[in-house]
Amino acid sequence: MCVLCGELVLNVHWTDQKAHDLEYGAAGGGEVQRNRRRDRIRRVQYANNILSFYGLNLADWNGSKYILSDKKGNQKIVGDLGEMWPEAQKACGRGLDPLDPALLEYLRAQDEHVHVHHDHE
Amino acid sequence: MSTTTTNKLPVDIITGFLGSGKTTLLGNILKEGGFEDASVIINEYGLAGLDHRLIRRINERTTLLAGGCVCCNRREDLILELNDMLNACQSGELSLDRVIVETTGLANPAPMLFSILTHPALMHHYFIETVVVCLDCVNGEAHIRDNQESVKQIAAADKVIITKTDIGTPEMADNLRVSVARINPTAVILEAADGIAPRSIFTPAPVSGLPWRQTPAPQAKPGKPEHTSGVRNIAIQFDEPLDWLAFGIWLSMLLHKHGEKMLRVKGIVDVGEKGPIAINGVQHIIHPPTHLDDWRGYETRNSQIVFIMRDIEPERIMDSLMAFQRLIGAHPEIQEINMNPLA
Repeated sequence: MCVLCGELVLNVHWTDQKAHDLEYGAAGGGEVQRNRRRDRIRRVQYANNILSFYGLNLADWNGSKYILSDKKGNQKIVGDLGEMWPEAQKACGRGLDPLDPALLEYLRAQDEHVHVHHDHE
Repeated sequence: MSTTTTNKLPVDIITGFLGSGKTTLLGNILKEGGFEDASVIINEYGLAGLDHRLIRRINERTTLLAGGCVCCNRREDLILELNDMLNACQSGELSLDRVIVETTGLANPAPMLFSILTHPALMHHYFIETVVVCLDCVNGEAHIRDNQESVKQIAAADKVIITKTDIGTPEMADNLRVSVARINPTAVILEAADGIAPRSIFTPAPVSGLPWRQTPAPQAKPGKPEHTSGVRNIAIQFDEPLDWLAFGIWLSMLLHKHGEKMLRVKGIVDVGEKGPIAINGVQHIIHPPTHLDDWRGYETRNSQIVFIMRDIEPERIMDSLMAFQRLIGAHPEIQEINMNPLA
């Protein structure tokens, strides 16, 4: 049972194992929850660096799920990254490939943008 | 140790081609003692026959999941048997401390891992301790050359046992060692003469899992005919800590798209915490990552990850990691590449 949303979680995706272990481990309290929340926000940011190339966007939903949306306003709720990639593929009609040279070029261009931005500061 | 393996029963998978001596090996190990509470699940009766209190025979029954690839099949037979054992164990009818699964010669270990690691009940009660692959010293080279399944088994292996070294020559065994190491640099390679191997073959390999550093880098064998299997591997090192969240996004994306071709991902990841995270994956399936308490047993604190793949150029993995490095937070470096291990 998920302590936050009361939903029955049968499967822990491997990318959530660490958070899961901490939450069900001995230590805990507010610190664990705050870290968990922070990690989710960071994960969403990172994912959007990639998803924006495909015209998609991810948002945290109540700290328990994620909402994946496209530019037409279609939305899909996903529980973890294991569910997210297949839904993203459906939403944009093609496979999301981390080896695709066009995506890699897009990421490098983002990096340059970040560098330029820093130079101006 | 993390909570991922505590209170769970170890499952050891022993596989290898028909005639590779896996039944003989298993029979001898069981005789050694210390396996009184182990249950053995076998797929076929070999010539050797096993004499053990708890042998259960199952017939391979695979359910292809909708949209599933070859590795994401459910082995219903295995699930049923493991569930039965669990029930018997919990009702006190059976005392059980380990399950050993001996597969058919052609079995791909991936569906078995998938069945256990994703089953809503089994995943909480069992963990995969080791995948052991037997390879016959005399015919091993031919199996590797002619059979994709043999290569897949070796790629998925934690340990490779070269059997029948009493029949083959030391040179054959040495050549086979080189071939195995070039397919799977993470595998621990052991030899078993007369079907005798130490029972320690079932103890988990060190989680660093990168024993290729202890053995000299395998050299290409001269005079062998060129032959492209498309199997390659690359070992990548990161000296700065990785951002685990970003790395998780990258790896889950890679496995979603190319899981069928990614025969193995194994390594340790420095995430800037007290200890590293050990990752281990076969095709689409990643074992629950193990969070180690400290860096004891490691010479240097860094991340080292081995990728074994089919029909993907290792440079593409490297290019991708380079482009993702701002997100991941560390710069990748190539430690070793085996472009054509079967040549």
